[in-house]
Amino acid sequence: MESVELAFGGTSGIVVLLAYGGLMLAVGLITFLRNRNIHESLDEYYLGGRGLGVMVLFFTFFATQYSGNTVVGYPPTAYRIGYQYLVSVPFFIMIIAVYLFFAPRLYAMGRRFSLLTPVDWIDIRFKSKAVTILAATLMLYALGNYLLEQFVAIGQGVSGLTGGTIPYQVGVVFFIVIMVAYSWLGGMRSVAYTDTIQGIALLFGVFMLLIGSVIYFGGPSAAAEVMRSEAPEKLGAPDGGGVAHWFSLLAIVGIGAAVYPHAVQRIFSARSEATLKRSFIRMAYMPFITAGVVFLVGIIGIAAFPGLTTGESEQLVGRIANALALENPLFYWAMILLFGGVIAAIVSTADSVLLTFSSIVSNDLYGRFIDPQAQEHRKIMVGKLIGLVAVVVLVIIAWYPPSTLYQIFVLKFELLIQAAPALVLGLYWTSLNSRAVFIGMLAGTLLASTMTFSGWKPLGVFSGLWGLSLNVAVCVIGSLLLGVTREARAHAVEVIGEY
Amino acid sequence: MKRKSKEPVKSPLVWIVFVVVFAAINPWYFPAGSFEPLIWGVPYWAWIILAASLALSVFVTWVVCCQWDMGADDDIGDDHGQDHGEG
Repeated sequence: MESVELAFGGTSGIVVLLAYGGLMLAVGLITFLRNRNIHESLDEYYLGGRGLGVMVLFFTFFATQYSGNTVVGYPPTAYRIGYQYLVSVPFFIMIIAVYLFFAPRLYAMGRRFSLLTPVDWIDIRFKSKAVTILAATLMLYALGNYLLEQFVAIGQGVSGLTGGTIPYQVGVVFFIVIMVAYSWLGGMRSVAYTDTIQGIALLFGVFMLLIGSVIYFGGPSAAAEVMRSEAPEKLGAPDGGGVAHWFSLLAIVGIGAAVYPHAVQRIFSARSEATLKRSFIRMAYMPFITAGVVFLVGIIGIAAFPGLTTGESEQLVGRIANALALENPLFYWAMILLFGGVIAAIVSTADSVLLTFSSIVSNDLYGRFIDPQAQEHRKIMVGKLIGLVAVVVLVIIAWYPPSTLYQIFVLKFELLIQAAPALVLGLYWTSLNSRAVFIGMLAGTLLASTMTFSGWKPLGVFSGLWGLSLNVAVCVIGSLLLGVTREARAHAVEVIGEY
Repeated sequence: MKRKSKEPVKSPLVWIVFVVVFAAINPWYFPAGSFEPLIWGVPYWAWIILAASLALSVFVTWVVCCQWDMGADDDIGDDHGQDHGEG
């Protein structure tokens, strides 16, 4: 992947990044000083004491969904395939729509059983060591890969913003140290507060990018004239294959992103049902001013920089930002802030992922199977340290990207959504058999991984969805064939039957 | 104990509206390759998809406001009697 080179970045870029890093550390420190007791309780550390209010909850959901990749990676795709990438607007709304089908009950369960992680719920529901460990492993593996991707993006973003003045590796280490420091100091609270700052920086930068692009390159009309004469397929409605691709993106992003462990954990962090509801309503309209805006930037790029190759188009946002920065000082600073915001957005996605990673280690593996008697303080410490070890290993991998076995680092969504049937079906169906759930999860994982490695994508539908279909089929048919024991059903009724 | 609650997943109306809106946000109902008329340089079908997407957002608002009331916090007050402050 090419990084974005901003020739104008240099010193101003370094100043913005240092200021940004300092601000994040300050947030961590203030949170730490105001909440001295958070390291004594898993709830306080990982869920902010289940007390996040509407705005903070909204921005932390926002930062979890929109990463730097949304800003840097989406416009090039819109540039290459044109209006068929408009799907990026409804797919972000789909995530919220999918929540509606399980979050109300999951939130209620979270309150009732003081759930800390999605694995916690799976464990209470199925009381099966095998299911719990498999779900935790899938989540940790996928979260690890997700974190790796963010680290690589931080390094590339930093070296791009500073025109190479700060090398890739220095950028990665600098931001990871800051991220780990403020996460350790304030747990979920600092992560959520920094998410808020990061979200605002990103929104500001993206809007300036759009305004500048419209002023200096012309709006969608200019782009439409170029497309009409040179590439009418970028304007046209999709054909059969295009519709299948559109549909499977909606389905996999909608389901996949809704069951992200770090997203589920945010459901548990809400102060109240009303808070969660209000945050969801706000999130439902955000795609128009986030994904919609970056999409439009990509479309305008078609007129501004016609004829880029695929590799060149990856740097589209950098090229537009460079051109705008040369126009006047306002845009110069706005573009510096934009790239600061992009890096901020990547860091804010990474911190959420790291915190959830640590919480699964603390609570679901160490606290459940290794030392259940341990004090919460100790569980938090173990989660932090193993999280740190994971970070170090991932940084080494990000430093020396492996040339072979590359694909094992690609699996994320494909694996995460295999936990969805246990998580969601388990909420509603008391006859769900835990052995069927385990076999379904395993079969779905193997199928999705094999298909990803071989690049096989029948009917244009993603491997993760094929895995999920097999997984659901095994869960349902297996449960119908095997049935459930009287005790298992009584337990399920006791857990979920109240509703 | 059954408690009085309203849950989106249990409402047939929610499912029906969702299926209709989901069908509308997939661009299967336009002739492939068509883009005229362009309105402000944006193809007609893209406007329709955006309108359908807005309908999905409105759907979310409606469900959250009118179909979701689990009373999930009711027993919290009884059990713990504490209000969590924010940081």
